Amino acid sequence: MDLSVIAILAAGTMAVLAVGMALVLGWANVAFHVEVDPRIEAAIDILPAANCGGCGYVGCNEYAEAVVLNGEDVTKCTVGGSAVAADLGQLLGVEVEETWPYRAVVHCGATYEDRLGRMPYNGEPTCAAANVISGIQGCTYGCLGFGDCVTACDYDAIHVVDGVAVVDYDKCTGCGACARVCPRNIITMVPFKSEHMLVVTCCNEDKGKDVTAVCKVGCIGCSACTRVDDRFHMEGNLAQISYEDYDPSTLEDSFAPALDKCPRESLVFVGKPTEADLANLADVEVPDRVEADFKTTVDDTEWRG
Amino acid sequence: MEYIGELILIAVSAALINNFVLHYFLGICPFIGVSRKLDMAFGMGCAVTFVLAIASFLSWTFTYFILRPGAPLTTWIWQAASPGTEVVPDLSILNYLVYIFVIASSVQFVEMYVRKFYPALYKSFGVFLPLITTNCAILFACLEIMKNVSGAAPADVWGLDKSLTLAIFGGVGFTIAIMLMAGIREELDLCDVPKAMRGAGITLVAAGILAMAFLGFTGVDRSLAALLMD
Repeated sequence: MDLSVIAILAAGTMAVLAVGMALVLGWANVAFHVEVDPRIEAAIDILPAANCGGCGYVGCNEYAEAVVLNGEDVTKCTVGGSAVAADLGQLLGVEVEETWPYRAVVHCGATYEDRLGRMPYNGEPTCAAANVISGIQGCTYGCLGFGDCVTACDYDAIHVVDGVAVVDYDKCTGCGACARVCPRNIITMVPFKSEHMLVVTCCNEDKGKDVTAVCKVGCIGCSACTRVDDRFHMEGNLAQISYEDYDPSTLEDSFAPALDKCPRESLVFVGKPTEADLANLADVEVPDRVEADFKTTVDDTEWRG
Repeated sequence: MEYIGELILIAVSAALINNFVLHYFLGICPFIGVSRKLDMAFGMGCAVTFVLAIASFLSWTFTYFILRPGAPLTTWIWQAASPGTEVVPDLSILNYLVYIFVIASSVQFVEMYVRKFYPALYKSFGVFLPLITTNCAILFACLEIMKNVSGAAPADVWGLDKSLTLAIFGGVGFTIAIMLMAGIREELDLCDVPKAMRGAGITLVAAGILAMAFLGFTGVDRSLAALLMD
């Protein structure tokens, strides 16, 4: 068969196909056009597209739809914070109240040394599995230290240090993934009115005697703090801070009496270090350079048959 | 009986024995990518089956009438344009181009249609459609059909029935494979996998073991053929 015959037929076929498909798709684009509210697309552009689910919706797109169509609250995006809320409010003409970014707070401050009654545990190294077994450690409220929250965190913002989960507030976006995954529910989302917050790092609701039996630092419910400061109240045998009355401007020094009174170490400031903290550290000698500590992953893997 | 037997043989062969994923290693990207949750895997499997059916219908039609050597439509047009010349037009060089072109645009069309008239369906599986337009599994089905239409002896040329059987049951085989994988991965989430193997590593190992298990179906087609063709 002649080459020119192939060329003519092939070119003709492709030309007919191209024109035909272009017509069909062009017609379909008009005929099957779906009206999408332009505000939804604008809202999707405003949202951070992290798709973390912190707002309670499946992803940013669903939240954008809910905000525009169902009048959902514009302040739910924990990752975007007040900036996104303001933009969304402007888009929809909604007044936005001042909101505080929510950050994860671990209500347990007991390291391995502080916890009493710990037992050897050779099971599945996840909190969810260990939580099912009673008696792994004396305290049935506190952190288990297997790091389910570390696995859940998409932002590398929480780590287990000395057996207790510690939040890195430089990285925390407040999506709440760690709080949802913690089987003991010791992580709560707290409105951070300043970068430096006082929190109660204990969630043991037992009587003081039982707490001292299992922990060196847990809250014993003595209510000493509530007597010197109105911003504390007792819930059962556990001190709580009323964050409604929490005023960041008068913060640092006004808590001093309560901190003095607390016989345990359950009242702890978390968040970014203050200037005072940095000044205290100024005298401490810091090594110039930190050498990387090379280890193979095999070293920390526990092999079991 | 022989006709039905042939169809059954093609179906079983496409779904189990020569499973697209586990025998030919086709469509691995959706197989690894969307096999994290069972319901997502099922949606993906349905979408692949659907696109395979459309693709096989179109590729068979185009191959049979236009592209194969001596295809009726092309011959007729050539005879009409220049009567009296004795040529057997062969447009096989266009195969790949036409398949990708036609399948991509028709899937696009179907996606628009479903989005307009079946929003619920679109939500559950429409999002997968653009992901799998002419991926390797779909192009493989087209080429398999091409092999049996333009390459076969005139008596053995596949009809639309066999092509559709191959494609749909190939899709069923894909759905089986991806759902098995999703089930395994949901269980794997609860397991203590060594650090070095986590994620893609253990998934590929599991896929390999699954492929070896499917190797057990080899030879079933021969005994099945003996059973059905008697």
